[in-house]
Amino acid sequence: MILLLEAAAASSPDREAVVTSQGSSTYGELLEDARRVATALRRRGITSFAVVEPDAAWVLRLLAGAALAGAEPCQYQPDTDATEFADHASMLDHKFVVTRRDDLTGSFELIRPESLVAEEADDALRAGANTEQPQPLMIRTTGTTGLPKAARHDWRILGKTVANVRPMPEQRWLLAYGPQQFAGVQVLLHVAASQATLVAPFPRQPKDGLDALLTKGVTCVSATPTFWRFLLAEAKSRKATLPPLEQITLGGESSPGDLLEEIQTTFPTAKVSQVYASTEFGSITSVRDGKPGLAVDSLWSESNPTSNVRVTDGELCVRAGAGMLGYAGESPTVSSAAGPDDTENGEWRRTGDLVEIVGDRVMFRGRQSEVINVGGVKVHPLPVEDRITSLDSVALARVFGRPSKLTGAIVAAEIVPVGGVERADVESIRTQIKEAVADLPRAWQPRSVTFVDAIETKGGKTIRGMED
Amino acid sequence: MGTDQEKARTVIGDFLQRIDKGADGWNDETALWGEGIGLDSLEAAELSAMLEDEFGSDPFSAGGDLPEKVGDVLAFYAIVST
Repeated sequence: MILLLEAAAASSPDREAVVTSQGSSTYGELLEDARRVATALRRRGITSFAVVEPDAAWVLRLLAGAALAGAEPCQYQPDTDATEFADHASMLDHKFVVTRRDDLTGSFELIRPESLVAEEADDALRAGANTEQPQPLMIRTTGTTGLPKAARHDWRILGKTVANVRPMPEQRWLLAYGPQQFAGVQVLLHVAASQATLVAPFPRQPKDGLDALLTKGVTCVSATPTFWRFLLAEAKSRKATLPPLEQITLGGESSPGDLLEEIQTTFPTAKVSQVYASTEFGSITSVRDGKPGLAVDSLWSESNPTSNVRVTDGELCVRAGAGMLGYAGESPTVSSAAGPDDTENGEWRRTGDLVEIVGDRVMFRGRQSEVINVGGVKVHPLPVEDRITSLDSVALARVFGRPSKLTGAIVAAEIVPVGGVERADVESIRTQIKEAVADLPRAWQPRSVTFVDAIETKGGKTIRGMED
Repeated sequence: MGTDQEKARTVIGDFLQRIDKGADGWNDETALWGEGIGLDSLEAAELSAMLEDEFGSDPFSAGGDLPEKVGDVLAFYAIVST
């Protein structure tokens, strides 16, 4: 991060680097602030700290400053629950927490971000970042399918994923992910590498993203499919005319075919990429052909030996390109996130993503942890959800497991009808859903369908799996 | 008959209509299984979920013997409401 910031500031110090609801900063200003943060960290002897901060400009200053000082930051969602935060801070042994919140208490020192900026940067730090020195970063998983874990990364390794990115200063990227998420970090890196402008509203809900599209000159967006569904539904309900986009990147979840089509129709001039990445494995591969899933010929084979992706027993396995060093508390050489190793040379890791080869595509069927066991039949929620969301009357849907004393679980669905629950003909939608899933095995068909005005998400992702 | 039982009767009617099984022609003595309505486990789980959504509890999940007739389901709510 600091190396990219140094390059961008050297090339165009006055270019707008980040726009937030609190103002904007140029690359030159950000670099200077990062150096002053690094100076303060060194002077106070801080080698690791937690960050609970909503403003992306502050996040950039703190992350880049930490990289320059060789300190390890660990970000949290800005509105994280105080009790939950105290538990995690204790588990990860955070001694310092940089935040403007006053309600966070625990065995740590609270530091306001502005007090972590020295009046002047040390001359030694103006000479540039030392690439021989570790530039650690801790990234917590979103915990969509369990308790969040903390993965240890190094900016120098993460930076390899943007080594081929060329300056595109006219681009304005929306920050739709939280910068505490791995995908958010990827956006920060990409924007800095392309010397573009980051447009970072807060809150980062789809409606805020839509506002930014309509008023902030956004040209590129990286977001989850769930975020896109919400944003497009919001745009429809507002009857908003969406501006053309140059680049759309989807990640964090499987992208259903109907959503890809809707995005292509709505933004006909945009290049659409789907990225496969995870907090643990890093950025693995991307798809640019506009179709759901991966191409079968992109999988590892003797004729495609450089591929980082293969399928074993219906599960996607990867070789980490710019993956983590390990989980917090583990030896850097151990990567238990990766799951059991089932290959001869030990470099392939299981991802927990279940896939099926259909024709020339590798189609995602959901996370292993999302599988619903209905009376012994394993049900993947994604294909069910895809059929429901492809209905014209459905704006959003979430398919999950609901406990049942009779069958262990039943498939349940929450539906956000187009136009809202009050205006919807719910019985007609029930019938349409029934018809849409009629050819699926009976255990896969939703037995509980409820109509809601909003679907809860976590880290921009739809929560599937079993309900408590 | 109490209000909850009337509501339960409506839920059962709606459920039978949804699964296309004997929406008419059932009464309190109609058996839920076999030669009666002929519910299978998935359909029973669906009815259980609908009743739970309406009342917060249901006779299929309450423990003890499963209801055998429509009247057993209605009776559960008579007990609950007293």
